[in-house]
Amino acid sequence: MATQTIGITFQYSHTIGRGEFSGPGFRNPVAMARGEDDTMYVVNRSYEYRPDGKRITVCTVDEDYVGEFARGVHTAGETEENENDGSLIWPTAVAIAPQGNVYVADEWLNRISMFDRDGEWLGKWGTKGSGEGELDGPSGMAFDADGNLLVVDSKNHRVQKFTSGGQFISAWGSEGSGEGELGLPWGICVDKDGNVFVADWRNDRVQKFTADGQFLQQFGNGELNRPTSVDTDKDGLVYVADWGNEQVRIYSPEGELLTSLVGDATISKWGKDKLDANSEMWQEREIAQGIEREKLFWGAVAVEVDDEDRLFVVESCRNRIQIYRKQQPMFFGGRL
Amino acid sequence: MAHQDIELMAHLMRRAGFGATYEEVERRAANGYEATVEELLSPMEQPDLDRHLLDRYFVDWKEMNALEVNQAYLTYRMINTQRPLQEKMTLFWHGILCTGNSKCEHGRQIQEQLDMFRVLGMGSLRDLLLELSRDPAMVFYLDNCMSHKDAINENFGRELLELFSMGVGMDGHANYSEDDVKECARAFTGWTITNAIPRYPYGRYASQFAFNAADHDEGEKTFLGETGNFGGEEIIDIIARQPATARFVARHLYNFFVADEPQVPAWQETPPRDPEAIKMLEDAYFESNYNLSAMLRTLFNSDFFKNARFAKVKSPAETVAGTMRLVQDFTHPKPGLHPIAMEIRYMGQDLLNPPTVEGWHTGAEWIDSGTLVERINFTADQIGNTALPGVRAIIDRLSAEGVTEPQAFVDRCLDMVGSYQLPDETRDYLVEHVEKGGQLQTGTDDYGHRVGQTLQLIVATQEYQFA
Repeated sequence: MATQTIGITFQYSHTIGRGEFSGPGFRNPVAMARGEDDTMYVVNRSYEYRPDGKRITVCTVDEDYVGEFARGVHTAGETEENENDGSLIWPTAVAIAPQGNVYVADEWLNRISMFDRDGEWLGKWGTKGSGEGELDGPSGMAFDADGNLLVVDSKNHRVQKFTSGGQFISAWGSEGSGEGELGLPWGICVDKDGNVFVADWRNDRVQKFTADGQFLQQFGNGELNRPTSVDTDKDGLVYVADWGNEQVRIYSPEGELLTSLVGDATISKWGKDKLDANSEMWQEREIAQGIEREKLFWGAVAVEVDDEDRLFVVESCRNRIQIYRKQQPMFFGGRL
Repeated sequence: MAHQDIELMAHLMRRAGFGATYEEVERRAANGYEATVEELLSPMEQPDLDRHLLDRYFVDWKEMNALEVNQAYLTYRMINTQRPLQEKMTLFWHGILCTGNSKCEHGRQIQEQLDMFRVLGMGSLRDLLLELSRDPAMVFYLDNCMSHKDAINENFGRELLELFSMGVGMDGHANYSEDDVKECARAFTGWTITNAIPRYPYGRYASQFAFNAADHDEGEKTFLGETGNFGGEEIIDIIARQPATARFVARHLYNFFVADEPQVPAWQETPPRDPEAIKMLEDAYFESNYNLSAMLRTLFNSDFFKNARFAKVKSPAETVAGTMRLVQDFTHPKPGLHPIAMEIRYMGQDLLNPPTVEGWHTGAEWIDSGTLVERINFTADQIGNTALPGVRAIIDRLSAEGVTEPQAFVDRCLDMVGSYQLPDETRDYLVEHVEKGGQLQTGTDDYGHRVGQTLQLIVATQEYQFA
């Protein structure tokens, strides 16, 4: 369906995904990033007892499977962990550097891992702590226009800026609920002007900062319930994953709520393949009651907007990504 | 504070909850026994777990799909709940009003049933049984969705009487007839569930209860001597007022909270081990209009409960959750919970997946050569880990008290894990072991190591397998 607001329409496009521990599909996806040539990098958190499902899935917007990298490892206690380079325990975020390398955050290992665009491991950094450059629960990442990496250092209630090689540059934020303070923040993005938006998770709001961390604005108070992710488009609209309310909120640049999305999922290409291979389920779907629930977001944990005004909504509980297109009316001729 | 108050409080917290650290036992004992009972009986006055926080870090808990995911969640709840009696009653009902993952379309469905037990499990038995009859997991598990007005399926109707409310018989006589089973099943025709959404491609959704009036037998029924055009609700009303129901619930509560009873199939012929206690509980049932909290209040404040120390073999869930509460691990979300939750399975209690609708056989049947080794290995591994906060707290406490005399050292270690008492021979062995280790010196690494070692020996005793 199309959701229209103030001359802008958010037209549902299609859905990508199905539940899989490997191969084409996702397992509890929690984040994604758009790469070059319509590629997508999707972070799969999976179940704890199925670490094989923890991985980065690479696919295209048209749902062609490209591959996967960075497998999860079993967790049998802190001291017994296999923490090989490139392995995952609690992956949370992914960001694409200007040159195309893929950065993946792990909030248990307190590690930022770097891969090339094909998934070859390049390096890592991260040490647990609360000092400059140390991390405690990195949960969101975004590159700024200078190619520096902003990391939401969640349990330290702050944002840290690093070079793409992991050298500490600056930090801001402290625990609290006042302006500029943060409560277990999660997602982050940088807009076209270099301003920084943070999903202030425990404070149920989004905050906007200057590039160097000066508080500018907050919005969503009283509306948002544990927002997890935020992104902006080239017109300055702000998209928020309102995780606790199972919605995506879209705000004007001034912070006015324009509209909310609740989900419009349809059967994905991979989903159709799965159903064709289990044809009795096509029949079950015919008689299923309440199947309209399948359209709705469940675990809408991450939003991403690409340069083509496509909105991607990652659903951790449905192993899929719903895609919308922002459409603006075009008028011809002069004013009447 | 009197030592006997500490011992009694440790007993209460083992039974009405999943155990407590020595500090919590002290704090509760200072508040008083009856006040603690009242607090336990008012779970809604205590905060629930921060579900958003759990769902954030244990991402799979938001969906609650697979069995193992649900088991980890339930284990975390037992370890961390601030409403211990509510969670204990949830476990109680899960072992009686059984559904299992082996016949369940969606793991979340059973978790939703447990949520229902959390809400209703300490209230009116009538309300609980009525909601159970509408519970989608139960409707599917016992085939009530297959019971039609022109072709009844007796499965749910039979188990409702036999295993969920009255029992086959008591005092040597049957509680109901085969005709009652059929009439009961007729009354529940049309109580069904919505057709499920298949698991592919995006995963399951919970089914919902649905009443299909067109498939309900509207005819007259005679049930337990009463005749009328009964539906399921009227059947539950009749069941709730039966003396057999009071007896059944009373024996179950006694078996779970006081002392091991014979297993349910023997209850028709085998009288309760403490008829006076059962009578007290039956009276509380009727005087309170079938209220379970009233029965629990009577139970916990009774002498028969207070005197029933170490008269029950711990269940695997009690063993694991109690150990983790003692060592204070997994008090916050972190990886590694799955292997802890699996220990409960390895000890013989596959939570959310009981072997049959009869649930688990309890008491001495929990123990065999395999499960005993599993229990001892697990508890000894945990309690011997001196890096864990709860073990560290015990070491610091004994060190601060300056406990260095071997007999006092052993006795204080026994206090710390729940005021356990050992036979003289076993205690003497432990004291001898401590003496052989040489002089104890507080504040040293050796002291901590020997506290851990002594705690390990304690949890390996026969006595520690009892609650």
